Amino acid sequence: MRLQPFELELVIEPQRWQQGRVAACRQALAAHGEPLRWAITAAEQRPEGQWLRLEAVLLV
Amino acid sequence: MVAAGSRAAGVSEPLPTLLVIPTGIGCEQGGFAGDALPVARLLAAASDCLITHPNVMNGAALYWSDPRIHYVEGWSLDAFAKGSLRLRPQRRQRIGVLFDAGIEPELLLRHRQVLAAARATLGLDIGPELVSDEPLGVRLSQASSGSSWGQLEQPGALLRAGSRLKQAGATAIAVVARFPDDNGSDALQAYRNGSGVDALAGAEAVISHLLVRELQIPCAHAPALAPLAPMAELDSRAAAEELGHTFLPCVLVGLSRAPDLRPASEPWHPQELAIDQVGAVVAPAGALGGETVLACADRGIPIVAVRSNSSLLQVDAAALDLAVVPAADYSAAAGLVLAWREGLDPRALMRPLSAC
Repeated sequence: MRLQPFELELVIEPQRWQQGRVAACRQALAAHGEPLRWAITAAEQRPEGQWLRLEAVLLV
Repeated sequence: MVAAGSRAAGVSEPLPTLLVIPTGIGCEQGGFAGDALPVARLLAAASDCLITHPNVMNGAALYWSDPRIHYVEGWSLDAFAKGSLRLRPQRRQRIGVLFDAGIEPELLLRHRQVLAAARATLGLDIGPELVSDEPLGVRLSQASSGSSWGQLEQPGALLRAGSRLKQAGATAIAVVARFPDDNGSDALQAYRNGSGVDALAGAEAVISHLLVRELQIPCAHAPALAPLAPMAELDSRAAAEELGHTFLPCVLVGLSRAPDLRPASEPWHPQELAIDQVGAVVAPAGALGGETVLACADRGIPIVAVRSNSSLLQVDAAALDLAVVPAADYSAAAGLVLAWREGLDPRALMRPLSAC
């Protein structure tokens, strides 16, 4: 087991964002490892959807 | 406790409330050494049941114990908000103590004397203690947002030691890890002057999150550091960390009555708190992007967004397309919680009256 700092920027389709914000973020992070600690550190509503920057420590 | 049925006439039932002040992002209130404790005390009085995390409650040698305040570490708070854990209030925990093998003998002695004092002076049940089988290797870092982060070189050593403590009868664990000393960096000066970010906070959260995730019992962390030279212009909010040789007393007191963590898959017990009992979550207006707040948003729990508690981040309701109830400061937030607890519509307290 290793701890890995990780940052990710992404856009989430609005309906998916409204239906489950935690699930949407965790799913995006899970592709890279298990999120031990994470937070949205920048966000903006854009025409194409909800833009986010996530900062995390992952278990890999 | 949220037990019903024993209240005097005219006294409202508790309104379980979450108070979240994220660690390591330079919050004006709660970004230093337990300096959000007055906020917690006020919200506990307003709600009669406050669930909050060590960053809010830990003031190194200073602490406040209140049976209306439930001390819940961040990983378990997230799990509680997501509905995968419930909280069972306890009168007493048996606190195991995990020391990092990287702590020097004199500093270790100082910490062991805190354990002795907590037994003798506070009557706490301090359980087994041990030293990890190798140094944990704490490393501090900073993310691109400026928030503090950190990691461990030997997470396995932490988990092995935690498992041994649990097997030896600990029902909660206080971890003391040796943190890198800072001999006067600009960041430390800024923090002590009241304008910077707590550089230790991110790594502390990682340590306790990892242990709680593995062991499913209450855990909290205190860093072991060499003392700093006295500073005349020290900011009051950072002063609690300069009172003693360790940051451990507040952790022991917080854990001593921390609620048990109960998997939601197990049968519900009447004393347990579950997320569907929570009536509000209170958080800084610009730091709404943590898992606990977002999980509450997903469940439709009212979010009180406190404007006065600024930080490095500007992740607000507009940026996240969230519905929130704004509050100018924590006094206003406590007024909202009290109004909801009394069954009042807070809009009825404002003029002009808004349309329905």
